[in-house]
Amino acid sequence: MKHVIAAIFLGLGAMCASAQGLDELNLQIHGYATQGFVYTTQNNVFTMQSSQGSPAWTEAVVNLTARPNPKLRVGVQARYFLLGEFGNDISIDWAMADYKASDKLGFRFGKVKTPSGLFNETQDIDPSYIWVLLPQAIYTITSRTPELSHLGGVVYGAFPAGGDSGKVEYRFWGGEQVIPTGDGDFVNQKREGLGLNGPLMTPFFGGALHWRTPLPGLMVGASDSRYQSSSQGLANGGTENFLPYNIEDYFAQYTHKKLMLAFELNRQAQETTISPAQSAAVAVDFIKRFSQSPAPAVSSRADDRDWYGMATYKFNDKLSAGFYHMQGFDRQADLGPDRYTKDWTVTGRYDFNEFIYAKVEEHFIDGADLNYFEAQNRNGVKPDTRMTAIKLGVSF
Amino acid sequence: MKGLIYASIAVAAVLAVHQAHSQSIIIANPSVKSAQVSTNEIRDVFSGSASTLKDGSHVTPVLLKQGAAHEAFLSAYLGKSDSAFRAAWRNLVFTGNGSMPKSFDSEAALVEFVEHNPGAIGYIGSGTPHEGVKVIAVK
Repeated sequence: MKHVIAAIFLGLGAMCASAQGLDELNLQIHGYATQGFVYTTQNNVFTMQSSQGSPAWTEAVVNLTARPNPKLRVGVQARYFLLGEFGNDISIDWAMADYKASDKLGFRFGKVKTPSGLFNETQDIDPSYIWVLLPQAIYTITSRTPELSHLGGVVYGAFPAGGDSGKVEYRFWGGEQVIPTGDGDFVNQKREGLGLNGPLMTPFFGGALHWRTPLPGLMVGASDSRYQSSSQGLANGGTENFLPYNIEDYFAQYTHKKLMLAFELNRQAQETTISPAQSAAVAVDFIKRFSQSPAPAVSSRADDRDWYGMATYKFNDKLSAGFYHMQGFDRQADLGPDRYTKDWTVTGRYDFNEFIYAKVEEHFIDGADLNYFEAQNRNGVKPDTRMTAIKLGVSF
Repeated sequence: MKGLIYASIAVAAVLAVHQAHSQSIIIANPSVKSAQVSTNEIRDVFSGSASTLKDGSHVTPVLLKQGAAHEAFLSAYLGKSDSAFRAAWRNLVFTGNGSMPKSFDSEAALVEFVEHNPGAIGYIGSGTPHEGVKVIAVK
């Protein structure tokens, strides 16, 4: 797949160097940069020392696209990402070629965005929404990298639903998801000496349907991704095996003038095992303390059922405000704060002009099922936390 | 009394001129087959969710950067402010799902581009000269 991405880069370069003028290629460069600040009252979040106030959240994105003819686009987007101890490096968000034969059928291949759920494609595009943080039970920022894109392709299009029934948009995708060793899901595990020896490569496929209903502004949809089994060696000599699982999403969004309402329900049930037994001894201890499972032997199960409802209102061109309530439950976890997270969030965004904006957000969080990390919470995770998050952004 | 009547006439004239300037018309390259399209088609094309009209013509939207015709177009067909409109396009750009349409400083430049580029579709004020392009009626 690296060869495909390299070919896209070469194609871009070749087109730029060809006899076609830049204007004919419709060559465009866009980008944005954000700086965040997080303060929490109790638990430290995102591997930050947030209870002391932390500015360790910086992102910068630049993309280059060309459209050599009306049906073909090629492009690449690079990102610098720093969040607490995550990232501090530059990676490729996507690098792909897109051929749209008609509105009913288009293809995209390379490293492409995974169009699952309501906001997965845009969850890392900060200028596109009002929130500093999307609902974390579903759009977990410390584990978002593998969810955002995959190596492979997407087939997409839209067709009339018949009569006056609106329009149905479809997306089907397949390929390989790459979970890096530093992903948030493995931070606590790595600390126990059970870090992955290399990235986890998981074959997967999925699809999404969005129905643009006859009621103007109302869209309802669903998506499902099927992940095949995969395994990876562990630092202590064992092997971690991930059994096949699905991520299901059901969602609706309604926009009317300055008002936007959205709802999303997400379910992810997953089981992993660690073998052989000598590796499992450490694992059992790990599972008892960190997994959300009563855990027989070396098997760990999670059954996350998460949802949120949100509303935003745009008072004028500059000022917007919003509210969401999110709940996340792991049905396999023991009763207690580790089993759930509830978050009441209020936010405000001010756009100084077309390019510069600021966001301020307050979270009232109950429960501890929220990717807190042991190294930054050595005295244990408290059952409730308030979080203030601020972001400044510039885009062009 | 006469003064009041003259003042009313003057205000009405100013409003009429403003109305004429703030109305927008849809223009396209003569290669576009349709002479009439629906409001939904215009909305879909200019929001990036469609690139063909019902007659099968492949179209490429072009924009004005600002001005009364631009504001009138966004209000009439997209129901969005300029900032919301551009934010929606930025979503497409940063997700790799679209390229920002060409934008022009003047209506004359937009007309010239539409005239010379097959499939180009745009909008101008109703009083702007538009020889060489096709006016598309919106039903």
